[in-house]
Amino acid sequence: MAEIKIDLKSLVKRVDTDKMGDFIAYDESKCDGCGRCALVCSFNLWSVKDGKAKLASNYQQHCLECAGCWEICDREAIDFWYPKGGTGVIIEYG
Amino acid sequence: MDEYDVVVVGGGPGGAMAAKTAADKGLKTVFLERGRKPGDKNSSGCGLGQRWWKDYPELMEKIMELPSARKVEMVVINLLDEHDRLRYKSGTTGSDLCANRWRGGMEGVSVYRKDLDPFLAGLAESAGAELRTSTLVSDVMMDDGAVTGVKTGDGESIKAGVVIAADGGMSTMARKAGMRNRWGGGCTLVPQLDFSCDEKKMDDVIGNAEWVWFGPLYGTYQVNFRDGFHIGAGQWLRPDWDEKPLDMMKKLVQMPPFQAMCRSIDAKPREYQAHLLPWLKKPPKTYTSGMMLVGDAAGFPCPLEAEGIWHAVTSGKVAAETAAWALSSGDVSERKLSDYERRWKASDLGKEHEFGEEFVNLWNASIFDPEGMKRQVQLLLEFSMLHPFSIVFDWGDAHMDCFNQHLDHMLDLLPEFGDFGKTYLVPLARGIWPKNVKHVLLMAKPRIPVLKHLSDETYFKVMARFSRKLAPFLDPAAKQEAPLPRGSL
Repeated sequence: MAEIKIDLKSLVKRVDTDKMGDFIAYDESKCDGCGRCALVCSFNLWSVKDGKAKLASNYQQHCLECAGCWEICDREAIDFWYPKGGTGVIIEYG
Repeated sequence: MDEYDVVVVGGGPGGAMAAKTAADKGLKTVFLERGRKPGDKNSSGCGLGQRWWKDYPELMEKIMELPSARKVEMVVINLLDEHDRLRYKSGTTGSDLCANRWRGGMEGVSVYRKDLDPFLAGLAESAGAELRTSTLVSDVMMDDGAVTGVKTGDGESIKAGVVIAADGGMSTMARKAGMRNRWGGGCTLVPQLDFSCDEKKMDDVIGNAEWVWFGPLYGTYQVNFRDGFHIGAGQWLRPDWDEKPLDMMKKLVQMPPFQAMCRSIDAKPREYQAHLLPWLKKPPKTYTSGMMLVGDAAGFPCPLEAEGIWHAVTSGKVAAETAAWALSSGDVSERKLSDYERRWKASDLGKEHEFGEEFVNLWNASIFDPEGMKRQVQLLLEFSMLHPFSIVFDWGDAHMDCFNQHLDHMLDLLPEFGDFGKTYLVPLARGIWPKNVKHVLLMAKPRIPVLKHLSDETYFKVMARFSRKLAPFLDPAAKQEAPLPRGSL
């Protein structure tokens, strides 16, 4: 049976990603490396290396703007706000 | 600096309804949407249940005509075992006895937010509210602890008589006003996948129904639209959670019964999103001086199934009505706006959250616990075999022997669920209407020799004395069609 292929990148539409500005701030000194940001991220933009979380450098190009990483971080090492109005992810259906 | 009576942050259903209601009341109103148009940044939904016919019948007539609308007449439940086999399928809908409810029983509609949000925003604009798009609100204006307006990402300040924050689960407004920071455990993360489908095949195979898939490894909704559907697999972000929500969704998509359904309607993945979804036992404080929170920002989604569009629209309406009332008295203090909470608690929104704690605890202990769910599936399957329609088709032995074998299995499994029942089901018993408890007792009365000649009134008095648990239901002062108050059992 053929599997249903899910290519996440092709399934998200974005506009003006170059104008979004920063919208995630990460304070590595507060991170205890628990990895829950990596677990929650539904685009795999967080990883843990050497006991510290790392955010993909080009996160603006891929982030789904869900704020899950901010919500999950008990150490409050991650701050999140929304990108500039009219930029970023566009939901065409919902 | 621009100045408005009401500034609504967010152009989703809650924001649009707040703006419409405020504008209808003659208030100078603006609503601010960070997307290029309402719906651009939506966080999904959107099965609009029967209660929409009760509360918003004129809107529903029009919503049913939106391009992506698909009528919903029942929910099809697909139950799978731990080997991904489809083991049980059932549907929920009332009989014709429900025809005295609005539009008869289960009728609702599913519609994409791409259609719903612009439609509702258009109503607000027609009522006279101003819509500003591509406008991110990044901060509140505060004066002596009171919210007095908002600041946009472009540095503009907008003064407000009252701010209504309809800015979603993360609510920048609630955070900036110091009302809360993270939800801290009472929130889910939902990855969601949308599929395009062949409309005619959907009509034939799916029909006018929502589908859900339950199994030991997942619980997911499938909301069916005119020519597509979406599925979502949520998970509470609580400390013991250890599975990636995205992985849960990927597993679901590979289940053979799900794939078969996809093939039969030519389903192809079309859009992917993820969003925070507050799924709380009860909303925290929903107002502060100069500001009220509505919809997801307030934590209103249903504590039983987490749908939140009706809750957003209804709280938006109540918030705008409260704003008009407060503004007319020239007092928007925290004390004055506390009336918002009194109003929504007295409405159907408050009723919905009356059993929030019990509902959330029940879900946490069942669907979101794979081992527990595996055993529950076994119990449900054995239980389902006791149904007359099922036993007719069990040809493993003489039918009465089949029946007894299933009964035997179910009785073996049942004690395992004793603690579950005691902890999670018994607390829900106070929700049974006193009227229905009395109905059952009256059915038993003619069969109890020593009691059958008593008057109903005396019979209930005797039963109340006999059972401490029954007494609150039989109290003559108890409301007949309402739950007993918390703590009364």
